[in-house]
Amino acid sequence: MTVTAPLSAVDDLTAEVAAHAADLPDVDPARVLAAVDRGRTADAGPAELRDLAVRAAAALIGEEPRYSKLAARLLAGGIRAEAPPDFPASVAAAHAEGLVADDTAAFVAAHAAELAAVVDPAGDDRFEYFGLRTVYDRYLLRHPVTRRVLESPQHFWLRVACGLSDTVADAAELYRLLSALAYLPSSPTLFNAGTRRPQLSSCFLLDSPRDELESIYQRYTEIAMLSKYAGGIGVSFTRVRARGSLIRGTNGSSNGIVPWLRTLDASVAAVNQGGRRKGAACVYLEPWHADVEEFLELRDSTGDDARRTHNLNLALWVPDELMRRVEADGTWSLFDPKAVPELTDLWGDRFDAAYRAAEDAGLATRTVPARQLYGRMMRTLAQTGNGWMTFKDAANRACNQTALPENVVHLSNLCTEILEVTGDDVTAVCNLGSVNLAAHLDGPDLDWPRLASTVRTAVRFLDRTIDRGYYPTDPAARSNRRWRPVGLGVMGLADVFFRLRLPFDSPEALALSTRIAEEIALAAYETSVELAREHGPHPAFPDTRAARGQLHPDHFPVTPRHPDRWAAVRAGVAEHGLRNSLLVAIAPTATIASIAGCAECIEPVVSNAFKRETLSGEFLQLNPYLVADLKRLGRWDRATRDAIKQGDGSVQHLTWLPADLRALYRTAWELPQKALIDLAAARQPYVDQSQSLNLFMASPTIGKLSSMYAYAWRAGLKTTYYLRSRPATRIALATVQAGQTCDLENPETCEACQ
Amino acid sequence: MLLDPGMDLTLRPMRYPDFYEQYRAAIRNTWTVEEVDLASDVADLAKLTPDEHHLVHRLVAFFATGDSIVANNLVLNLYKHVNAPEARLYLSRQLFEEAVHVQFYLTLLDTYLPDPDERAKAFAAIEHIPSIREKGEFCFRWIDSIDSLDQLRTRDDRRKFLLNLICFAACIEGLFFYGAFAYVYWLRDRGLLDGLATGTNWVFRDESMHMAFAFSVVDTVRREEPDLFDDELTEQVGTMLDEAVECELQFARDVCGPGLPGMNAKDMHDYLRYVADQRLVRLGLPARYGTRNPFAFMELQDVQELTNFFERRVSAYQVAVSGTVDLDEDF
Repeated sequence: MTVTAPLSAVDDLTAEVAAHAADLPDVDPARVLAAVDRGRTADAGPAELRDLAVRAAAALIGEEPRYSKLAARLLAGGIRAEAPPDFPASVAAAHAEGLVADDTAAFVAAHAAELAAVVDPAGDDRFEYFGLRTVYDRYLLRHPVTRRVLESPQHFWLRVACGLSDTVADAAELYRLLSALAYLPSSPTLFNAGTRRPQLSSCFLLDSPRDELESIYQRYTEIAMLSKYAGGIGVSFTRVRARGSLIRGTNGSSNGIVPWLRTLDASVAAVNQGGRRKGAACVYLEPWHADVEEFLELRDSTGDDARRTHNLNLALWVPDELMRRVEADGTWSLFDPKAVPELTDLWGDRFDAAYRAAEDAGLATRTVPARQLYGRMMRTLAQTGNGWMTFKDAANRACNQTALPENVVHLSNLCTEILEVTGDDVTAVCNLGSVNLAAHLDGPDLDWPRLASTVRTAVRFLDRTIDRGYYPTDPAARSNRRWRPVGLGVMGLADVFFRLRLPFDSPEALALSTRIAEEIALAAYETSVELAREHGPHPAFPDTRAARGQLHPDHFPVTPRHPDRWAAVRAGVAEHGLRNSLLVAIAPTATIASIAGCAECIEPVVSNAFKRETLSGEFLQLNPYLVADLKRLGRWDRATRDAIKQGDGSVQHLTWLPADLRALYRTAWELPQKALIDLAAARQPYVDQSQSLNLFMASPTIGKLSSMYAYAWRAGLKTTYYLRSRPATRIALATVQAGQTCDLENPETCEACQ
Repeated sequence: MLLDPGMDLTLRPMRYPDFYEQYRAAIRNTWTVEEVDLASDVADLAKLTPDEHHLVHRLVAFFATGDSIVANNLVLNLYKHVNAPEARLYLSRQLFEEAVHVQFYLTLLDTYLPDPDERAKAFAAIEHIPSIREKGEFCFRWIDSIDSLDQLRTRDDRRKFLLNLICFAACIEGLFFYGAFAYVYWLRDRGLLDGLATGTNWVFRDESMHMAFAFSVVDTVRREEPDLFDDELTEQVGTMLDEAVECELQFARDVCGPGLPGMNAKDMHDYLRYVADQRLVRLGLPARYGTRNPFAFMELQDVQELTNFFERRVSAYQVAVSGTVDLDEDF
């Protein structure tokens, strides 16, 4: 073999950039190369040059979105050079370093040639830069010492698929969905499938510790164990006695729940999830607990730091009775749970009766105007975004797991989309994955059969994660095998609306979004019946509402689009049961949506130009649909870009933009929030768990918030998630050309906007 | 007029409601040092190359004293002469923010520099690191320029005051700090020192406000006493910015050494002149340098952040919220 003299590193890079940019219109390789030349140090090697080129291309995405492709291709080239050459070599290397599990390694070794043939060489080109960067920085397995990646992106997908498969055909089926970015399992599954510690579940829900010291410390331990392997934690503290409650053993009085939550706060922050991200937990409290006001202040940035928890998220588990009393402007009684231990295990009429009986018996610690407490809840949402409103009765009423009175949903999870029964030794678990709706568009409509097919594959693999997963605690393992719940969600809804030109608040958007939810639920239930026919129903099936002939949509006044298919599902459930007690949950998808390059779950975009801060630095993201429209109009230029930045990502002040486009490109801040709630309420019958529904209000007031959350409750939502608001002032624009600033007060004088 | 000597105490009728609104907006922006998590920075520090290490050390050494200097000038020279109680409300609030910044950088240095000797040296940087001393001297010169003025009686007094005000807004908060922010965001762009970047984001937000307030004082004075703004003042401001750019450039040469990937003194020079032009234009003066911003990562500072709560703390919330419960409002 002859070795030709190596070109200089700069010449290599020049050739590579030109080749990658060849099919990308509006991308100028010279600009990237000029930036590399300016930024490089005297003795730059190929790695530094490539890194500079990637960053230079990424920095130009704000001007021309196609630079994202160039940056991704350059990065992909670097990753492939760093990783082992083929799939069997990659798995073998990761196995040798103790990362990949023995059985996965053996499976791959036994089918090396077939599996290598599964890899799609065009797969990497489907990534946009943000997605690939995220995969590279956070998901690929790395050598424990050198930190070099041990797998390329396509080998990563295939490793995940093999970790969940027994046959090459199965692995190929899942690989094809992942590689097409059509369906992605949640991060724990992507991190851990096929590894020695396959903790594949996203969420854990823990019942409140019992009102005793040992139980509280035992919960800390459980939470730490669950957190360690990348699970998000929801935990209730409603059973723990309130401040001032008598401690019999010492004849002293309790300091309430706040000191316990401080300890939990420190413990959660200390557990670093495999070095990848910090642990995260959400504490739930029912708002009749006498410490509720102190609880609402835990995230304040002012006040006594000894009574603050900066890492914990907070949520309220709100019974209907409170909302009714807010509506009626009545009073609300606060109790020490020691005096009313039964309340947290009751919901609906039985809760209402017990609550009123406790009031009549004079057991209340204090009584306050219901609206006073509600106002404080709203204030916490406005000031911290936390104190999520989740509705206890709606959550229990329609839950498939609550057919027996002793089975109660006591809380939701870290992201408010999971609703499952918990108990003192029952930790609820959920395995999640999301369908990328944007990848299922076919011209002016969704490709419905393909969507159903994706859902069927997704449910089969989610079901499989239940058996293949490693459970850090026994209560989690037991309950997951008994109930076998999964949470299939969606992402990219906003992409679908942009492509089909449907404003979020249009009736067509509502109809389409509801149909998507129904089609997904149907295909998921059909698959779970099928799985029950193959493997039998989940062990707790006799305790479910489904076993009594009641399916989730039955709890809502809806007319399904496919009554015949629902009837078939009903017959199937009667004959075979369900393999999974719960199937649908819409999770936030923050990271996997950025991998797939689509909008998050069911959310509208918050801006047409925003930066996404992640552990791997900041990325600029533009609304590519808007850019395409602006190009069509011949208005994609510096003046327009600056005007969009000046308007904080809004296009409403671009008066020359046709009204229909302005309506389409309204941001989450500009859409009526009623529309988001209405969309969520309309899909709720087909979401048997719940939805991570963020609400947006730039400058919240107590009045607006109290109206909004009362509306959400009346609409029948089970849960809501963050309230997003905006800082009072902003950073001075660093890079808008001086002298061309846009006067929003006087748009007619502003050149950029007209 | 705003610069007339005295201690006006009358808030109603309010002469400058805009200053009061800026005060209220600042209150809504409250953040505390305890919210910044520096844990991942400590791990990052161990990974830095020697050149990066040098850069970070110089940077934090500047931060160790920068905000204290601004606070001193506020107390010694600004509060005394801006004679409107609503403006003094804002300045009081600004003083608190400067204190928070000082506390943030104190906490940062304590965390970054566990060795007590090294720590003491960093805090004394203004005395023994020449590139930082030079910046300090620039600031002190301008503090001293009106230190002896008890009242702004003459036209000359008022022009001296304006130069001091413009210097602290345009050159110190608006240029020295902006230079420092660029290093921080360059580091973050490489995935380094997330905690520093988070705190800096909030400092940046505050500094943007301080600058906006100072410039609105300048606007007010211009409205009230237009004759103060003549060619001579334009020339003096221009020269002042030249000096500030030079001063920050010699710091950049020290910080960057022979250059790091994507960060060197030459690009920093272009960036500083670009920023200086922005300040001039904001003051209604012609741009002077005509360079372009070479730092693409600074583009990102203009656009909305969307924080994944797994990763960073959400800084996008307001502290003061008003209103009462009402179930029938539009939302």
